[in-house]
Amino acid sequence: MSCLKKIVLLLAISAIVLSGCSKKDSSASAKGGQDGVVTLTMLGWEIYQKPGMVALAEEYMRQNPNVKINVDISAWGEYWTKLEAMANTNTLPDIFWMHTNEFERYAEAGLLADITDLYDDVEDNYYYNHFPSNLVLNATYEGKIYGVPKDWDTIGLAYNKDIFDEAGLEYPDETWTWDTLKEASITIKEKTGKYGMMAPQNEQEGYLNLIYQAGGYYLNEDITKSGFMEAGTIKGMGEWISWNTDYDFSPTQAELSELYTFERFFAETGAMLYMGSWGINNMYINYPDLNWDIAVLPRCPDPVSGDGRASIYNGLSYATGSGNKNLDVVKDFLKFLGTEEAAIIHGANGAAIPAYNGTGDSWINNYEGKNVKAFVDMMDYGVQFPYSKTKNEWFPKTESLILDVYTGSKTLMEMSQACAKLVDDYLMTE
Amino acid sequence: MSLSTFGRYKQKIFDSAAGLGMVAPTIIGLIILNIYPFFRNIWMSFHKSGSFGKWTFIGLKNYTDMFSSEGFWKVTGNTLLFAAMTVPLTIIIALLIAQLLNQKIQGKGIFRAIYFLPMVVAPAAIAMVWKWMFNTDFGIINIVLTSLGAPVKMNWITNPNTVMLSCSVVVIWSSIGYDAILLLSGLQSISTTYYEAATIDGASSFKKFFKITLPLVSPTMFFVVIMRIMAAIKIFDIIYMMIEPTNPAIKNAQSLMYHFYRESFVMNNKGYGSALALWMVFIIAVVTFIQFIGQKKWVVYDV
Repeated sequence: MSCLKKIVLLLAISAIVLSGCSKKDSSASAKGGQDGVVTLTMLGWEIYQKPGMVALAEEYMRQNPNVKINVDISAWGEYWTKLEAMANTNTLPDIFWMHTNEFERYAEAGLLADITDLYDDVEDNYYYNHFPSNLVLNATYEGKIYGVPKDWDTIGLAYNKDIFDEAGLEYPDETWTWDTLKEASITIKEKTGKYGMMAPQNEQEGYLNLIYQAGGYYLNEDITKSGFMEAGTIKGMGEWISWNTDYDFSPTQAELSELYTFERFFAETGAMLYMGSWGINNMYINYPDLNWDIAVLPRCPDPVSGDGRASIYNGLSYATGSGNKNLDVVKDFLKFLGTEEAAIIHGANGAAIPAYNGTGDSWINNYEGKNVKAFVDMMDYGVQFPYSKTKNEWFPKTESLILDVYTGSKTLMEMSQACAKLVDDYLMTE
Repeated sequence: MSLSTFGRYKQKIFDSAAGLGMVAPTIIGLIILNIYPFFRNIWMSFHKSGSFGKWTFIGLKNYTDMFSSEGFWKVTGNTLLFAAMTVPLTIIIALLIAQLLNQKIQGKGIFRAIYFLPMVVAPAAIAMVWKWMFNTDFGIINIVLTSLGAPVKMNWITNPNTVMLSCSVVVIWSSIGYDAILLLSGLQSISTTYYEAATIDGASSFKKFFKITLPLVSPTMFFVVIMRIMAAIKIFDIIYMMIEPTNPAIKNAQSLMYHFYRESFVMNNKGYGSALALWMVFIIAVVTFIQFIGQKKWVVYDV
């Protein structure tokens, strides 16, 4: 009998404790201070963009002394785990970066604040008038806009001029094809003993570019079918993997998993790699002695379709949670982030190529003597980074299947078939 | 009379309340942190997780998926192999160290501190340092080996055949100190009279170790073995930090916990992850059960 009583008492205690937990205040970050100062938190994932974000926050705080903005950075690897946990507990940061891989999931769940009419008092159709339409579409879900376009990026060919000089080669330019790249890499390996083109297993800064250059695709336009079995896709994927596995001018995948292309490039033991425009700032600031430059990506010499040119292009946006306690203040800050003024601050601090039309120069001007303009030029034939609602589930699985080709436990065709089936099955559930 | 019954009753209530009050912090903690999550985990394993807390009941599908997946058996095998590689070695080395530390030597305290040190360092830091030491081209291990005349540089953490061995070395290195301290406390509780008697009877130190030390330290050892096996089955941090997802050796290094992390938090497949977690509970329960049966054969409780 007394045992039963104890259990009842225990349950009562636990009930009290648990109900106490659920009543917790749901706003974690945004709290109005005593003197009417509102403190906001902004979360992003790229540490080299922190100065740019801080500069934006400071400018806004100067104009609005009643607002205080803290900038937090959480590395890409943990960012989405963290953001999801925050979303589940209703403690999303006031302003956070949104990526195309995840956007639809958040928008569908109703977690993002609708900011379609953010600029209605400024002008009609502000978003489409001032940002590339692709970027606006990246932040649009079922006709509503949930993010202010932040920046965009393309992939370019980064090369080490000193190693090219040492090998007696001409620098890469827009006439280069895959074949020129391979020939140059072989020469570099022979003449200098250093690596030429370093081709790791990488999606955005790797095979995805070649797939589209060869005329293939990853996902079809209405995102109902994967393109892994398309001739162009197989061609591009096969070409990229072969640079790693069939030639000795690239470190092997095993070597790259111990020391990645960037470290090797910075240490001047490798001459070339494909690099996203977001990587430039780190290189420029931290490796001033490195004699690097940028060229457009070499084209596919014999594409299945198209002209052989492509560079994967993607854009981020700033978003806020639909349940934010200080939505008015946050929206005003978001509105500021989408202005030309903010775009120029963003670009001038080297954060990334600002999304606002015509402000690309503010970013280019940071890198005097470097041909970073190539990144902006490639926008002409840029291909939107493909995504779908369940990409976070199927992508790690394709990654593991593609790795099997590097280790030789699957052929290119076996991998393509397996990936096609896998992704098709996922797309069916969307 | 009725008054005194009432008084006793009151006293009893007071006693139970006081007792409960004193254990409440632990019990509440257990309920919130262990018991509720455990049942929630069971519930989740029968569901499919949608985005942001939406769950759909799918019955046993997570389990059937799990048991029919090739990768799942591979990681289970990896985990058990890992336990087999680390547990016996860790305990043997720890016992040797404990035995050495139990001698009358100068600076015993310093040695104890040194052996215990890896336990104080964050596992992530240990993994990062070892990762560099294992590096094929720049790691100190290969530099030393080649200077000693090794013909080829070993790919310690990228070769599928050595990756598990490399991870085991790190785990053994980082856990012997803790186990040695536990075993040392066991050794110190052995009364010296046994040794004195054995010495008078002319027993060799070898014999003393096997006939006195080992049986008498066995209860501590039993505890250490159980804890070490559980830790080995739950291994995550070292592997997560040392092995990149694009490392060609990843398939031979993934443990159950690593697989669980990828499924639950990278692919957001939390229902499946919960099923994996229960599978781990099952393995640990079975192994521990076997040990509790087996201990009757080797653990000495009454002397």
